[in-house]
Amino acid sequence: MSRHLLFDRIDEPGLNTIGVYERRGGYSAMRKALQMPPEAIIEEIKQSAIRGRGGAGFQMGQKASFLPKGEMAKYLVCNADESEPGTFKDRELMQKSPHTLVEGIIITTYATGIHRAFIYIRGEYQLQADILDQAVAEARSAGYLGENILGSGHSLELVVHRGAGAYICGEETGLLDSLEGKRGNPRLKPPFPAIEGLYAGPTLVNNVETLGTVPTIINMGGAEYAKIGTQGSTGTKLISVSGDVQRPGNYEIELGMPSREIIYGLCGGPRDGRSVKMWFPGGSSSPVLLESDLDLAYDFDTMAKAGSMLGSGAIIVVDDSHTALEVMQKVVKFYAHESCGKCVPCREGTNWTLKMIERIEAGESTPMDLDILASAQSQIIGHCLCVLGDAMAMPVGSIVEKFRDELAEEIEAARERANSLAYATA
Amino acid sequence: MPRPERKLISLTIDGREVQAVEGTMLVDAARAADVEIPYFCYEPKLGAPVGACRMCLVEIEGIPKLQTSCSTPVRDGMVVNTTVERVKEAQNSIVEFLLVNHPLDCPVCDKGGECPLQDITFGWGKGRTRVIEPKRHFVKPLALSPLIAIDRERCILCYRCVRFSQEIAEDWQLIFTERGAHTFVGTHDGHPYVAPFSGNIIELCPVGALTSRPYRFRARPWDVEGSGGVCTLCPSQCNVEFTVRDDKVTRVLARENPGVDDGWLCDKGRFAYQAIHVDERITTPLVRGADGELRPAGWDEALEAAGALAEHRGRAAALIGGQASNEEAFLLARLLREGLGSGDIDSRLGAAGELDLNLMRALAAPALQASVSDLEFAHIVLVLGTEPIDDSPILDLRIRKGVRRNGVKLAIASARPSALDHNAKLAIRFAPGGEAEFLESLEWALGTPGSGETHELAALLRDGGEEVVILWGESLSAPARATLLRIADRLGLAERQGAGLLEVPLGTNARGIREAGALPGAGPGYGEASPGRSAAQIAAAAAAGEIGALHLFQIDPLRELPDRDGWERALAGAKLVVAHAATLTDGLARHADVIFPAESGAEKDGTVVHPDGRLQRLRSAIRRPGEVRAGWQVLADLAKRVGLDTGVLTAGMAFRQLIAAVPFYEGLTLEAIGGRGLRWPETEAAAAMPAPGPLAAAAGASATPAASGPRAEANGHLLAGTYRSIWAASEVEISPALRFAVAEQVVELSPQDADRLGIEDGAAVRVAQNGTRLRGRAAIRSGVPAGTAFLAAGIAEESANALTEPLVEVSKL
Repeated sequence: MSRHLLFDRIDEPGLNTIGVYERRGGYSAMRKALQMPPEAIIEEIKQSAIRGRGGAGFQMGQKASFLPKGEMAKYLVCNADESEPGTFKDRELMQKSPHTLVEGIIITTYATGIHRAFIYIRGEYQLQADILDQAVAEARSAGYLGENILGSGHSLELVVHRGAGAYICGEETGLLDSLEGKRGNPRLKPPFPAIEGLYAGPTLVNNVETLGTVPTIINMGGAEYAKIGTQGSTGTKLISVSGDVQRPGNYEIELGMPSREIIYGLCGGPRDGRSVKMWFPGGSSSPVLLESDLDLAYDFDTMAKAGSMLGSGAIIVVDDSHTALEVMQKVVKFYAHESCGKCVPCREGTNWTLKMIERIEAGESTPMDLDILASAQSQIIGHCLCVLGDAMAMPVGSIVEKFRDELAEEIEAARERANSLAYATA
Repeated sequence: MPRPERKLISLTIDGREVQAVEGTMLVDAARAADVEIPYFCYEPKLGAPVGACRMCLVEIEGIPKLQTSCSTPVRDGMVVNTTVERVKEAQNSIVEFLLVNHPLDCPVCDKGGECPLQDITFGWGKGRTRVIEPKRHFVKPLALSPLIAIDRERCILCYRCVRFSQEIAEDWQLIFTERGAHTFVGTHDGHPYVAPFSGNIIELCPVGALTSRPYRFRARPWDVEGSGGVCTLCPSQCNVEFTVRDDKVTRVLARENPGVDDGWLCDKGRFAYQAIHVDERITTPLVRGADGELRPAGWDEALEAAGALAEHRGRAAALIGGQASNEEAFLLARLLREGLGSGDIDSRLGAAGELDLNLMRALAAPALQASVSDLEFAHIVLVLGTEPIDDSPILDLRIRKGVRRNGVKLAIASARPSALDHNAKLAIRFAPGGEAEFLESLEWALGTPGSGETHELAALLRDGGEEVVILWGESLSAPARATLLRIADRLGLAERQGAGLLEVPLGTNARGIREAGALPGAGPGYGEASPGRSAAQIAAAAAAGEIGALHLFQIDPLRELPDRDGWERALAGAKLVVAHAATLTDGLARHADVIFPAESGAEKDGTVVHPDGRLQRLRSAIRRPGEVRAGWQVLADLAKRVGLDTGVLTAGMAFRQLIAAVPFYEGLTLEAIGGRGLRWPETEAAAAMPAPGPLAAAAGASATPAASGPRAEANGHLLAGTYRSIWAASEVEISPALRFAVAEQVVELSPQDADRLGIEDGAAVRVAQNGTRLRGRAAIRSGVPAGTAFLAAGIAEESANALTEPLVEVSKL
């Protein structure tokens, strides 16, 4: 069932301005939170059991509690890089209701004793970055940012930083390096950012949607929020549905909703006469699921059990007008292009996989090459410095596994084509 | 700063219980237990691991994913498997991935035979590849610099060279460009990677991507032998391994010694070996004929001619250069004192005056000596009147390491801006020649509250932590040294572990040569000796005809000492000039009557002493070229000619005589010195170091706050200081590979003075003083205080050694 918390009357004109936002009750959660002891806020977030909305699905309250206590140079970084193909939910939230994010950041920094926060937004989101800049300026004029916010003793500087367009800068440690002015490459973990992050200080890195949900949690109370959704996946989730559906776009759903209801109910399913061939439940890096998986509940645990993941909540639907090879090629091309090159299995693995697929297309492969292709994917998974390599290998591995016969046919067909072409030109 | 504690824990590797120091990286603990885990990117010298190559993945029980053993510190009770199937598979796959783009041109690759990629592919790879796709291509090889060739196709992007540039040398020149499989190593705008330590990346490279241009295609690993030695080109005395092929040094590699060099070399040490085998090298004795020409001569003839020293008994003087060994210095001093009845011998370079033996003893006192590794762990390091990058380059890296990794607080007090200024908490400038004044004000500030940078430094030294190391330059004047000693006393450095003084001398083996007794009025072991003239007094006396013979052991005073004109007159005034030299520098070419060919550092057998008191052994790595004979042998033969039987028939006998003569070397043997050296101040015999007598009255009591800042310019003249560039060495000038680096007169000016004088950066300038004129190139350096200029000394042409006065006039040419 679709339920609106973040997207509640999201299209109301002027919601991106502080006036409309406050008239609708905005910043009341902040006022409430600033009266609470910081630990109590963390407690509420823990009780809400909200899992990170960026992709990894780690519990936010737990992550925040890893941060060392006390006065020191600590940072909050909001990950607004939203670079996973198929994901565009944060864009809408930031564009239409930027103050939700600003308010969430103020509350979270107060709860964790952080006085410097950054929103790292992808460079392509120019409009959204401008809107955020405006929102930050408004919040500052209203006294919600800066020194001693509303007399609470909490001070916060918030900076909107524009990225330069690399997928890897959405990986939290790559993002931190980029923010520090370095080449955006992921760092070795541990140390995790909560211990040693930005400028070697303890750093909390959270997704836009996660932070944007914090005001709701404060308003409702953590326990109340936790009643929404399923036990392991509480709350609502913004999802981006794209691909072969009749009504693509962003939706807010209650976690646990049957997948079929999302794809067919909300989005109208594929065009008439077409059927779902496969779907990515959580962005292009999630292993694909099949038509037969459509009755699974859309939540973190069920998706994981089905061998895939909920990821950032980006559902990409592929109907039967596309070949498996075509889908695989698109995925591989993207990740080979975006691999940062730091670690060997990802750099060489993505590049080799791409070359293997180009070879298939050129008609120079045999079905036996599928074994090599699959084996290369399993050699990448779990061996890389960050998850970018896995992000290619997991969906590609699943496509080879689930569409092996079709791929073998495509290989043979490509070979035939190449041969006949060779005869024709001979 | 406390050294890390070493607590032993036990863990299980491949079913065997092993012990390791807690916190050690797993890969190191495994190696110590004879379990080899392959890796490419890991190199502890480079700091924190990056985990990029993924070659060292192992299974740790309790953790689902394989872990990189290079970045996993060992914990008690850890159970590690390095040979199980999934680890083997991971290793196979990393090798396969690495070779996706590697050209496998091993048969024509310099690295072949000593290549980690080759070894690991054989050891941990599957032996066959499934990759038939085309590999990436680059133009190759390209010159990354005049010294280094880069082959980007071979590069496995392990990060080592880039980390070296960014985190060790901190020159920030090497970077990665592009992304993913297109990534390559380069510099920001493609400029050559020229930096004092660039050659280290050749050794760091685990494949044949970075190769030495001078060494390229010269030899295969099975054609060569490695021979351990010590670099004698500067006081750092880095431990090296000479790569020898057919009795020629073809390459120099680092031989890691944490107490000396930390495993790094500067480019001078790495590439100036070429000077050993060039035509400019003197390989036969030379004797000046009646026609005034120097001509090759036989040994008998040369020794006969030099034997004329005996005619100048009581009127002979000797100078000795920094590259002499302890034994050579000892024998030269014997020859002069016992054979020729003269005490006029000096080994101090720079403008040292009369020797204050008590002061020298006090500064060399064992309890006050800091070691090189103390620089890395001290709370405070004060660099005083020396520029490590030029004077002892490898210490520059050690100081950077201390600051970067251990939080050492660094302070610089010098006339000339330092390359380390950016790493320092405090950088104080005093006027050239103003170090005594500065130290007096520092001494005063230590006991008097106040504000200003001198007080800040005083507070740092006094309250910044127990372990204070002061790295000071030999060019400090006697009054400055006396004050330094009082400051050290006041700070109690002698009593504190890890604290003390460390001198950066001007000559490679200055300390050993002094300890061997090549000083005016001081014999072996800083003992008393008959009085003698200092270098400057020798010059004056020789010019005045009071000295008949000059014996120059591996030194050309026109090149190495100040007051070039004074020495010109001295050399002209002496009736006999006997020299030992490897190359024919200007002063010797014009004035020496007899020149004995000198050994290079790769040929000598003997010992040297590191500035921190570490005796190190020089071992002959190659046969001496041509007619070159051992220095000790030539000196012993020459002594015989003047009627002194030294009793020295072998290098070992010379060493034993030295040990017997220096009380605090007692009991030392060549075996004990070994390949890593031995610090005598840490031995029991150190107690035999003679105690300093009473020092000259302390000026401290009457000291007042002196103006420590640079003085304002006087009448448009600039106060001149000198510096000796890392490249100012005759070995550099004759090494073909280093031609691009040869030091020239670079006049460092402040932006203000440059502006006032209308001089642009890089412009040709003239420096004038009392009729002396030097030409040079201007370098505008923001750290140079207005009113001062810094001039290069020790260079072949246009050298500041010609200057005698503090003020110079600089003008556009």
